[in-house]
Amino acid sequence: MDNSLTLPKDNPETTPPSNDKPLTRWQKIWNAIKTYFSKPANIILVIFAVLLSITVVLPLAYLLFNTFQIHPGEGSLGKIGSLTAMHWFRVLFDAEYDYSVNLFWKPLGNSIGMSLIACLIAIIIGGGIAYLITRTNLPFKKFISTVFVFPYIMPSWSIAMFWENFFKNTSLPGIQAQTGLFQAMTTLSVPSGFVYGFWPCAICLGIHYAPFAYILIGGILRNMDANLEEAATILKASRLKIMRKITLPIVLPALISTVLLVFASSISSYTVPMFLGKDGFMTISLKMRALFTKSQTMGQGYVVATILMLFSFGILMLNQFITNSRRSFTTVTGKSGQVSLVRIKKPARIILTIVVLFYVGFFAIFPLVSFALESFLATSGDYSKFTTYYWTTTDETNPYITGSVGILHNATIWNAYLNSLLISLACALIAGTFGILIGYAVARTRGKHLSNYVSNMAFLPYLIPAMSFSTIYLAVSSAKAFSFLYQSIFLLILVGSIKFTPFASRSGTNAMLQLSGEIEEAAIIVGVPWWKRMTRVLFPIQKSSFISGYLLPFISCMRELTLFVLLTDSSLILTAVLQNYETYDCTQISNGINLIIIASVLIINLVTNKVTGASIDKGVGG
Amino acid sequence: MPEIVLTNITKSWPRAGGKKGERTVGVDNLNLTIKDRGFITLLGPSGCGKTTTLRMIAGLETPTSGKITIGGKVVFDSEKGINISPDKRNVGFLFQNYALWPHMTVYKNIAFGLENMKWKKEDIKARVTELLAMLKIDELGDRYPSELSGGQQQRVAIARTLAPKPSVLFMDEPLSNLDAKLRLEMRTELKRLHRDTESTFVYVTHDQLEAMTLATEVCLMEKGVLQQYDPPLEVYAKPNNLFVADFVGNPTMNFLRGQVISREGNKAQIKFDETLVEFEANDNFDLSEINEQVVLGVRPEFVVSGTSKGRKAEVIASLPSGMETTLKVKIDETILTSVVFGIVDYPVGEKITINFADNHIVLFDGVTTNRICDGKLAFVK
Repeated sequence: MDNSLTLPKDNPETTPPSNDKPLTRWQKIWNAIKTYFSKPANIILVIFAVLLSITVVLPLAYLLFNTFQIHPGEGSLGKIGSLTAMHWFRVLFDAEYDYSVNLFWKPLGNSIGMSLIACLIAIIIGGGIAYLITRTNLPFKKFISTVFVFPYIMPSWSIAMFWENFFKNTSLPGIQAQTGLFQAMTTLSVPSGFVYGFWPCAICLGIHYAPFAYILIGGILRNMDANLEEAATILKASRLKIMRKITLPIVLPALISTVLLVFASSISSYTVPMFLGKDGFMTISLKMRALFTKSQTMGQGYVVATILMLFSFGILMLNQFITNSRRSFTTVTGKSGQVSLVRIKKPARIILTIVVLFYVGFFAIFPLVSFALESFLATSGDYSKFTTYYWTTTDETNPYITGSVGILHNATIWNAYLNSLLISLACALIAGTFGILIGYAVARTRGKHLSNYVSNMAFLPYLIPAMSFSTIYLAVSSAKAFSFLYQSIFLLILVGSIKFTPFASRSGTNAMLQLSGEIEEAAIIVGVPWWKRMTRVLFPIQKSSFISGYLLPFISCMRELTLFVLLTDSSLILTAVLQNYETYDCTQISNGINLIIIASVLIINLVTNKVTGASIDKGVGG
Repeated sequence: MPEIVLTNITKSWPRAGGKKGERTVGVDNLNLTIKDRGFITLLGPSGCGKTTTLRMIAGLETPTSGKITIGGKVVFDSEKGINISPDKRNVGFLFQNYALWPHMTVYKNIAFGLENMKWKKEDIKARVTELLAMLKIDELGDRYPSELSGGQQQRVAIARTLAPKPSVLFMDEPLSNLDAKLRLEMRTELKRLHRDTESTFVYVTHDQLEAMTLATEVCLMEKGVLQQYDPPLEVYAKPNNLFVADFVGNPTMNFLRGQVISREGNKAQIKFDETLVEFEANDNFDLSEINEQVVLGVRPEFVVSGTSKGRKAEVIASLPSGMETTLKVKIDETILTSVVFGIVDYPVGEKITINFADNHIVLFDGVTTNRICDGKLAFVK
């Protein structure tokens, strides 16, 4: 007791506070836990940390493990189930008959080249349109900006399919020798390299991702303080110099992000080379698909998937490194309402307008017309005879596909359509809700380790190439314990939800960060429970952003094939059915199906936009 | 040297959502002469067209009609179709939010304009160093704007604007993003810069105190129309109309709305509420023609208390600030503001004697709201 009198503060255990018993260590921890979990944000954070670890991190580890494992069918390498480095060796270094070169290095080179060109095209077209729309007096802005994003909303192969429809001609070898629209109109036939192969793939990817560049760069330009440019004008910089020294450097982070994200998406693109690689053009994603279809090469497929993924990680790191520099690019918005638009003089303005309108007409509207036309052709390539046969007949139209009756009577198509809708709806609901919850938790606990972890893990699926991602789940569902998942709708919903959560979590986080904590605190003070705060206070304020968070996954899911191609048979979802008809050259029906998909997506986008004000350019896109 | 003349300048936009031909007028038929080496402030409530006017002179905005000359050179003339671009007007522009380029260092920000003018490298270096020293930011040359405080950014922006030695300097509310103490400091700085640089300054602000303390002349605008263009003290003492009188001065002027009972020569008896006062115009101004409805404008410092003569009034609020105390007193139904200098306070409810001092009481027409004349005011027993 003497001790406690002389050193009361240093020895709390011997000097209990007057009434309370001393807390044991466990009680203290228990109290700390209780305090921690009294905040809803923390509960959500912990739940998602666990959930995302299971759905993202564990499968990644499993994928890596698979690259070393000997699978059934690979028995020549050793005992099935044991470990080997042969997969890596064969993919990367096997010089026998140039195996690695043909399997991996050449397709990789093709993919990289194709992706770089696609980036360039996307930046030039998307950035150019963004500049014209935000900074000049170009007419018809509203129409152009609405229609310009169409190619991005459409399934990624649409432009490729349109390209093929348009340019295919009778001078091509083999089965592809059909009259295309261009030949029908001009009687000219373009060379094969213009229809199939490297350049057409790169161009179609570029056109598909140009709206993405437009959304990112346009966002920066719109928020960029016009005073920055005016200040340079006053200091006697020429228009070209302002562009070069002021505008470009300031939009540079958006440009870099665009390049990197378009690159990441392009390099793993499967559908575009599937349509336009018919002349033997091989990309890494086509190769990967081929590896997975043979049981002897599964392991090598996993290796390629892992490498593709590493590429994306590298790109993300690069992106973060570049945009996190000292030169902060946060743009303070000043009196930007007073933006004085660059006046383009008469002749140039008319020419530019015509060029831009021609572009959106050709690549955004004309494809729809082309799909419709193609589906009504009696014989593919013969533009003299139209028929509703492929829509209405009850006869089989293709000897290889059972049940290939006219689209309107085709039970497979409409079943798949319903499945697609169902899966998209489920994915949208799950991903969108996840996005809002993650956004809330991350915004409220900013800077904490767990918060960063959840935020990064929720974005990670974006960077995992779609096919690698589905590979992981293919591997998981092939495992005995999870065999109930194999080729089920549930698996697709699971994969889709996780894969599209990044869109939703990005828009959710941004929306939540814009809301000051005080808005919620005002409700906490008067005792409004958490659930009500979310639904009655926070959600209504940022309604359009949150709904965008639901809309994006829906649209992406509806038009998705790459992600699902390994996980379904050819009749489960509409995009897979389309691929099946395309494979057997049943162009009328595949065009018709594509038309149905695009029309559904566009209508849903338009209706949501009109009703709620949400639109896809409010999200990140991908 | 640069005298700026605005002749019949009008700026209007098609009205959003309006019928065809309907236009919103931003600036209406503005005529203004800005003297060489003057420091004029464009003052007015937000949305009155002051920033638009400034941007039109600088060439960032195109007037709908009118003519602008800078130093005798026509830079804009709607009739002749002349519109010289901002970079050829030899002007400087300081933006409200500074508009520093985030991707350039402080040094590069300042040097950029000089590079465009094809200055020699060593001249640029000398000039930038000189400016950095002048604005006391020598050590910040290598920093990026995001690494500076508000006040430092402000100084960099000023340095950038001054670098090419513009003969005319436009400033758009440059101090409004600074805290009170820094603002005071920068005001002194700007006055010093004005003297040192021998340029003409045109300064936009909605802060009447800033306008009064800085300017050689204040141009007060409301809804795009020029209200008064005079030296600050002139605007304070002889406001052209009730709007100007109300906008300038803090605490605001007292307005006594009353009726003329009798008029004779330069004297008139005016009644407000139940109180009768006599107004005696300065310089024998003839009051026999004035309207019956008038408004008397009395600055708070001319409502004095503790005099032997005058009327009893009740203190309803006392707001001491140390140097002075603002009093709200009530006579009949009218509440008057009075400023008493010195360290004093009054209990609320106390009855004190008040009277009107000096000959700076302003008489306004009650209908047109324009100033008639100024003079003395006294209670009638």
